[in-house]
Amino acid sequence: MAAEPTLEAPIGDVAAETHASTEHASGGLPQFEMQHWAGQIGYLLILFAITYVLIAKVFAPRMRRVIDERAETIDGAIATARSVQAEAEAQAEAARAEVDKARADARATAAAAKARVTEEFNARLAADEAVVGARIAEAEAKIAATRDAAMGNVTTIATDATSAMVERLTGKAPTAAELSATIKGAA
Amino acid sequence: MAGPIEQFEVKPLVELGTVNVPVLGEQLIAITNSHVAMTLAFAAVVGFLTLATSKNSVVPGRMQAAGETMFGMVDGLTSSIIGHEGKKYFPFAFTMFMLVLSMNLLGMFLTFTATSQLAVTMTLGLISFLTVVVVGFVKNGLGFFKLFWPVGAPLLLRPVVGLIEFVSFLLRPATLALRLFGNMLGGHVALKIFAQFVVQLGAVAIATGGIAYAFFGVAALSLGMTVAMTALEFLVAFLQAFVFTVLTCIYLNDVVNLGEGH
Repeated sequence: MAAEPTLEAPIGDVAAETHASTEHASGGLPQFEMQHWAGQIGYLLILFAITYVLIAKVFAPRMRRVIDERAETIDGAIATARSVQAEAEAQAEAARAEVDKARADARATAAAAKARVTEEFNARLAADEAVVGARIAEAEAKIAATRDAAMGNVTTIATDATSAMVERLTGKAPTAAELSATIKGAA
Repeated sequence: MAGPIEQFEVKPLVELGTVNVPVLGEQLIAITNSHVAMTLAFAAVVGFLTLATSKNSVVPGRMQAAGETMFGMVDGLTSSIIGHEGKKYFPFAFTMFMLVLSMNLLGMFLTFTATSQLAVTMTLGLISFLTVVVVGFVKNGLGFFKLFWPVGAPLLLRPVVGLIEFVSFLLRPATLALRLFGNMLGGHVALKIFAQFVVQLGAVAIATGGIAYAFFGVAALSLGMTVAMTALEFLVAFLQAFVFTVLTCIYLNDVVNLGEGH
């Protein structure tokens, strides 16, 4: 091994020894100079132990805590959002039901109003028809009476005219019985 | 000019003396550039995580979002690979990821890359491996050895396959360490070589003149290559930290859910 001759060098001058060792080592890798191993190994073990304790006792719990906290926060926020969404959906459902109900009510009201108006109209129509019918009947009765009166007058006029014509032609007035018989026969 | 592997030299800044360690031999105890790089990486991790978690709010700021991206990625890894028990192993995986990533990325800015030191990657690999072994024994007791008993294989082959499984298990720290080490080493060496071409070929072109001006073209190509490789190395720095963490999670899963997925 390259480092071996250095071990025979006087121990008093360590610096010179190290220098010599590096010169000897130019043939091989400096990593195989065993004289520095124990120092490095011991020191690394100490550093590793300190780092391990620090990470296990301080850093890892700190990081895990904040990560768990974040997960909780996010889960909580998601749960809240879910419940809010569900509530909103329920409200939307209620609103929809309300609108449906209002629409049905409006439809019912409209139908009722229509029915009432139709009924009223029909009733008024019937009443008006009755009034008009009565008036027509009255007028017809009046016309009939007038006609009858007129027809009565026609007989009188005819009797008078006949009596006058007969008187002028014959010089003497016919009797009432003859006249009424003649008129009746002509009628 | 410094060679392409000089960047990997560990240079003592403050020397504290030497000790004799059984396996490694005589060891120089010093504050070296490697220690400085590791300390900076450590400080970067702690600083980043402090900034990322200081103003914790449900709506994250920039730093917090960045920190949470890292956190979420490794958390996703542990929980998807290990399952519902993954949370328990998250700090370990996160520590591994952040430290390796920090050391890899700092290597792109400093002159020294801690994860290009085999000593460092070997340590990280062994930490991962030994954690798996300890967790395996704590959770399963001696049932841990069921990990090497292939239930799916024919009875006659089971000892052979089991032996192979055992050897491959023992090789895990080495593969973990060498993968990271090799990637960092190779990338930085290639970067250095291409970057050196730019300067050296340019210098040759200027010094020689005449036909040698053609070297400017090659130098320009090398410059383009250096830029492209720098981008690639940033990707590798992240990817290797990620791979190291994924493998650590997979190995942990083997022993945490022993006998469930096999």
